[in-house]
Amino acid sequence: MMDIKTVRKEHSINYIPLLLLTRIPLRISARLMSEIDRCVRCGSCLQFCPLFNVTGEEQFSPRGKLYLLQVMDLIENDEELGRDFRRLLFQCTMCGRCKDVCSSDVDLLKIWHEQRAKAVGAAPFEFEYLDSLRDSLANVYNIYGLDPDDRAIYWLDEVEDEIPNIHDRVYTNGKTAEIMVFLGCLMSFRSSQLDVVKSFLKALEIVDADYLVMGAEEFCCGHPLHLTGDESGADNLRKHNRSVIEAAGAKKVITGCPGCLIQLRKYHNFESAVAMHHTEFFDHLLEVMPATKRTETFAYHDPCELGRILDVKEEPRSVLNKLGVKYREMDLSCCGGGGLLRMTDPNLSDKIIQLKRATERLSETTVVTACPSCREVFLSNEIQTVDIVELMAEAFEGGGG
Amino acid sequence: MKLRDVVAGANASMYHRLDFQKIRGVYYPRSEAEVVEAIEQARAKGYEITPKGGGSGLSGACTGGNRDRFIVSTLQMKELLTISKDQGYVDVQPGATPDEINEVLEPMGMKLYVSPSSRDIATLGGLLATDGGGNDTWANGTMRDNTVRVKMVLYDGRRLIVDWEGVRSDDAELALELNKKDMTIHDVASAHGTLGFVTELRVTIRPLVEEHLMGAIAVYEDFDALGSALDRMIKSETPIRYGEAIVEAHKDVRDDLTPPILILEFPEKEKASIAETTDFEEVDSGELERLKDIRIKLPKRNPNEGVQAALFEGYGFFEDSLRGMQSRMEAINGLLIEDGFEPFAKYGHGPSKWYLGDNTPAFGLIMHSREIRPTDKTGKELFETVLKIVDLCDDMGITPKPEHKWPFSDKAKKTRIEELRTIIGEGFNAFIFEPECASETLSSMV
Repeated sequence: MMDIKTVRKEHSINYIPLLLLTRIPLRISARLMSEIDRCVRCGSCLQFCPLFNVTGEEQFSPRGKLYLLQVMDLIENDEELGRDFRRLLFQCTMCGRCKDVCSSDVDLLKIWHEQRAKAVGAAPFEFEYLDSLRDSLANVYNIYGLDPDDRAIYWLDEVEDEIPNIHDRVYTNGKTAEIMVFLGCLMSFRSSQLDVVKSFLKALEIVDADYLVMGAEEFCCGHPLHLTGDESGADNLRKHNRSVIEAAGAKKVITGCPGCLIQLRKYHNFESAVAMHHTEFFDHLLEVMPATKRTETFAYHDPCELGRILDVKEEPRSVLNKLGVKYREMDLSCCGGGGLLRMTDPNLSDKIIQLKRATERLSETTVVTACPSCREVFLSNEIQTVDIVELMAEAFEGGGG
Repeated sequence: MKLRDVVAGANASMYHRLDFQKIRGVYYPRSEAEVVEAIEQARAKGYEITPKGGGSGLSGACTGGNRDRFIVSTLQMKELLTISKDQGYVDVQPGATPDEINEVLEPMGMKLYVSPSSRDIATLGGLLATDGGGNDTWANGTMRDNTVRVKMVLYDGRRLIVDWEGVRSDDAELALELNKKDMTIHDVASAHGTLGFVTELRVTIRPLVEEHLMGAIAVYEDFDALGSALDRMIKSETPIRYGEAIVEAHKDVRDDLTPPILILEFPEKEKASIAETTDFEEVDSGELERLKDIRIKLPKRNPNEGVQAALFEGYGFFEDSLRGMQSRMEAINGLLIEDGFEPFAKYGHGPSKWYLGDNTPAFGLIMHSREIRPTDKTGKELFETVLKIVDLCDDMGITPKPEHKWPFSDKAKKTRIEELRTIIGEGFNAFIFEPECASETLSSMV
């Protein structure tokens, strides 16, 4: 399938009749159809879908979307339906809860990924709003379109007072270490993540870890492209990261970002390095941790990509328990920040967190979590939040009251 | 066409390939006023109304066939309006599910005792429309047994309140006419949305009983032995609380079980009386949960190769057909195999209760059935087998789809509803009355 820009360039035309492009059928392979047909349309997924919960309309539900695929042969020639369906595929948090609760064992997440790729391939002009993201990742290797050299600049000065040797920890060619810290775009560039970065690095210092931070040599992990179905674009980024991490001789790659961890663990194909979430690293390393001085009861939000997709459920809770942090479990529903929804339909994303805020009384508590993306959602909705690693670093330093 | 209209066809039956052009609109009302508005719009344009709940039923009635229609969903009518613990009822909008209601009631020590396996998605409105129930209908009755009254909106916008005594309405003449016909909850139950739109139900709630139950498994040599054991249980008014049969199951989904079996739960003090009706082996709570889990997942799991389908979801064995299950099972499986279907799983509630079309209660085994979907059959061919099964059921004294999920061949029920529709209007879900079990429409939707 040719990209629309290529078509325009090759044929020196600025305008292609919409009709020609929307006639691209949404045909489904026999293999995928047999997976789709496993859905018996029982509807048990509806109540667990964050999109259905805020819209109350079936087309947003997993059953609704699967049903549309099951009857696609009856509707595929309708241009308007095709366009709406492609849009619908991106009105999803990709939280994976539908897959989790499906008794028919339908691999819904895989279907959503494949269909997203097909949708973008079939009608790239409908996804022009993703161009700036794709361009940033292709040109400067981060989601913000900022100078790649700035990756280590944003936080270095802020951390320097507390970790004087931090400049030495930034990877440059020839440096080696047992651990490579992969901060990810959010933690590298967002000032709202600075406290988490500081805590993460301080904790590593306290346990005397042999680590480096990738700095300007860190490229985006490829997760945003993966979520749009652009595996080849993601692979270009992954290849670079893999070569740097392997050149540094790292045995472990540690990240605080579950999205990055999906990419590092499942798609970077390291020869020997093991990718870990920071909660896994510290939990495995330390049998005992100093007790927190915090006395309030937090609400623990299990990030979907960490708990559900990567099955890292025990370690975050184990760290909280070792620290003596009091917490209540939150419902396992998405915060609304997954699946690029904040970019593809921010209105729906807002509705999801607002519903969660109300039903779980989040204005009355501090949410403890372990994902920079969830953190951004909570902060932007005036919900107090703290990363597990912040509580840990505090306790290590004897503080936290 | 819009996606939100197309997607309204999503339902658990095999009747899901609709002529989407005929869905002229989909409404998600939140209140009675919004229901009235949707119906007014339909009437103004000459369209029918098809009410839809969770879409977990298996008759296909919630699709509305292929007629020009509005589908009016209850999915946003979930409010619990009144809870009267003292008088033992709740008033609730039709889109709430038993699970949602019980989530509120259980902390108060009360419960709605209607427990279909789809209780997480099946709505109360849908359950009454199919007179559904679960494995506890033996102990707690069907949805109609737990319904005190309903409020309905008719096609012409008039409102009714129907209870067990009769009908009330602001339109005295209408009420009089319907009361002459003795219309009660019996008529609304299992009407498959053909009478009007239920906007509110009053349902019975009872104290949550914390009873210590023991679990058991009973294994039978053949289907006659299973049927006879159930017949003895029914005659002795057995005090079992949970009875689920796995009649037969594909090797990929039955684990180590050797059907036919019954999974039972009953009060420990009733052990001796149960033993008079069937041999059984006690199981601990962990094993009981495992057995229940295998059973509950049978309608949702698939074989390692192929996909299961609900060709004809239910068979009601009672009286002679229950005692003589073996020959009847052989006939059913013979028909299925001859028509190219590999039996996948048969399971269900036993002992159980359902109502016949003339409102007589029946007691027996409600057996659900799933088959591996053949890849070379047309929708018409699949439906031909369905019609053969219905004939076979009639010949063998088996109720087709006993949880009243098959209104199309129920002559007594259809005649009664048609009689009432001459008074209250015919704008709701008329495809159910199409000739020959609506075969032209249904076969096109498989």
